[in-house]
Amino acid sequence: MQPSLRIPLLLACVTGSVLAAATSLRAADNTIKIGALLPISGPGSYFGVQDKQGVDLALDQLNKTGVNGHKFDIHYEDSACSPLPATQAAKRLLDQYQPEVVIGEECSDATLAVMPLMDQAKIPLLNAGSSSIKITDPGNPYTFRIMPNEVMQGVDLATNAYKRLNARTAVLLHENTNAGIGNAKVFADTFEKLGGKILEDIGFGRDVNDFTAIATRIGGLGNVDAIPTYTLEGQGLKITEALTQAGIVKGGGGKAIQLGAIWLPFGFEQKAGKAAIGYIRIVQFDPTDQRPAVRDFVKNFKTKFNSDPTHLNAHAYDQIMLIADVIKRGAKDAQSIRDGLAATKDFSGVTGSVEFDKTNQNIKMDTIHYMETKPDLSWESLKWN
Amino acid sequence: MFSVILQQGINGIVLGSLYVLVALGLTLIYGILVQINFAHADIVTLGAFVAYFVAQTLTGNYVVGIAVALIMGGALGWLINAAVFAPLRRHGSELLPLIATIGVSIMLQNAMLLLFGPIPYAFNTPYSSKVIHIGPLFFTLQNLFIILVSTTTIVLLYAFMKFTFLGKALRAVSQDRETAALMGINPNFLIMLTFIIASALAGMSGALLGPVLVLTPFAGTSVIVKAFAIVIIGGFGNIEGTIIAGLIVGLIESYTTQFLDPGLIDIAVFALLLVMLAIRPTGLIAEKHAENV
Repeated sequence: MQPSLRIPLLLACVTGSVLAAATSLRAADNTIKIGALLPISGPGSYFGVQDKQGVDLALDQLNKTGVNGHKFDIHYEDSACSPLPATQAAKRLLDQYQPEVVIGEECSDATLAVMPLMDQAKIPLLNAGSSSIKITDPGNPYTFRIMPNEVMQGVDLATNAYKRLNARTAVLLHENTNAGIGNAKVFADTFEKLGGKILEDIGFGRDVNDFTAIATRIGGLGNVDAIPTYTLEGQGLKITEALTQAGIVKGGGGKAIQLGAIWLPFGFEQKAGKAAIGYIRIVQFDPTDQRPAVRDFVKNFKTKFNSDPTHLNAHAYDQIMLIADVIKRGAKDAQSIRDGLAATKDFSGVTGSVEFDKTNQNIKMDTIHYMETKPDLSWESLKWN
Repeated sequence: MFSVILQQGINGIVLGSLYVLVALGLTLIYGILVQINFAHADIVTLGAFVAYFVAQTLTGNYVVGIAVALIMGGALGWLINAAVFAPLRRHGSELLPLIATIGVSIMLQNAMLLLFGPIPYAFNTPYSSKVIHIGPLFFTLQNLFIILVSTTTIVLLYAFMKFTFLGKALRAVSQDRETAALMGINPNFLIMLTFIIASALAGMSGALLGPVLVLTPFAGTSVIVKAFAIVIIGGFGNIEGTIIAGLIVGLIESYTTQFLDPGLIDIAVFALLLVMLAIRPTGLIAEKHAENV
């Protein structure tokens, strides 16, 4: 090559590279980066697996055309439903992936642990699965929650137990976490205020496997009408089985009704078998809802995953759709996404509608749905709300 | 109230029997090799999964599931010893095999996570839903089955160690490996045998624990911590001590749940462990015996 041509060619290569990099950066600028802090290992990993399905479905739909010229990218970190791994995962996410918005965690202890990091980094955190009131009371400008908190769920559940089920005595069963203790306390306060009596408040660690001893203790208490239970799926199964074997709940021929909040996935009753008969619990999604958005979601989910969607799939789907809605309203970076989330009014998702109060808590109660497990292990929507 | 106390006694013995089965394998390996095997928990978990798939999807027979889990455990024990521990022992370091057990544990956990996923399985056997009521007392057929299998296993293991040539040779190796080798005993063969027996026990205990545990790839981890405590309380390497300690821990759990709070179970068990370490560091029975196994 002639020396005189080398310099222009070199310049052309450098210019080309710079232009390519700039184009790539522009493309990257048009991509909204969503970080996901989900439990992928440990006892809460069923949350992460099902959340991921909901997220994948939403992103498939959104990325076909994009929203306001933006595409969406997601990066998952395993936060393991526990404060320490969640904090480490959040730091990795913020330092390396540098998202514009983060979804997660499911477990309250983990969410509470990552909130200060998000606040410091000024990255909005959109939560769907944690119920502890501490998350939005007193509130944090960068944390938003679309599901009903423990007070909204607990007051409703206790009121329905007392007024609709005529329960007058209850035993509280809960894991010893912020969410477990908080949910149980709200139920107890409301139930006692209405005139009910809490016979026992039984907390346990996540390493307990055999609940026969706990069932025996409850069996020795005499007449128990309701057993509100706040635990993850694995321990929930074992509790229900033990209460059935001890003849305490309906599935075992007893009269007590087990009550639950938004902790268990659909499919629980198939695993628990007849032990689950009569179990009444809150879910955040009613697949029999006839709204077109819900029908489409159910149909598309079945097509993609060959199974019916659960409420965990649904609320993960709604999280992404809410972010897309904010982008549609003009947001393009972390701060404008935060501001857009705060300004949300009457967003209609498949789980229900969303409107945040000044603590960034969704105030809509149409996300609460009650279901009861029938003798054939199907469940019936109770239409209590 | 008396019936509740009696019922909690039954619950404690059932739970204790399960702990004993898990702890026996640990104590056996420690007694012969003076080595802690962190991978034991994962062989227990794998045993539970093997029994689940054999019993629920392949044969429909739980007893066949237990047998396959036992064989799988033994085979895995042989493989792990041959591929990992035996080569490391040749280096003469005690630390390397210990760290290797942690590595094998993490590997097995992740392999199970990949194969079985993280969502809890419901392992129901023909015995787990059959509840027997005697007056105010209740227990499942599964509980009876667990006690029966545990007792039989303990008796067979005890007889093997006390009355057979191989059992005596194992005890000789546990007392003094070099002298036993001079007497014509092959320590490497016996170490391999120890791994096979201990891992077979782990596989079988997994099959029995499966219906009791929250069955996920991390299930064994929740039991192994208690099993370690039992082995220490009983006297590291002492079979009789392990049996007594296992039953004591089971009963402590039941009565703590009844009279105190289930949240205090771990505190009660590990307080006992600390007391034992302070006043009787050799364990419940170890001081009475010249050898542990």
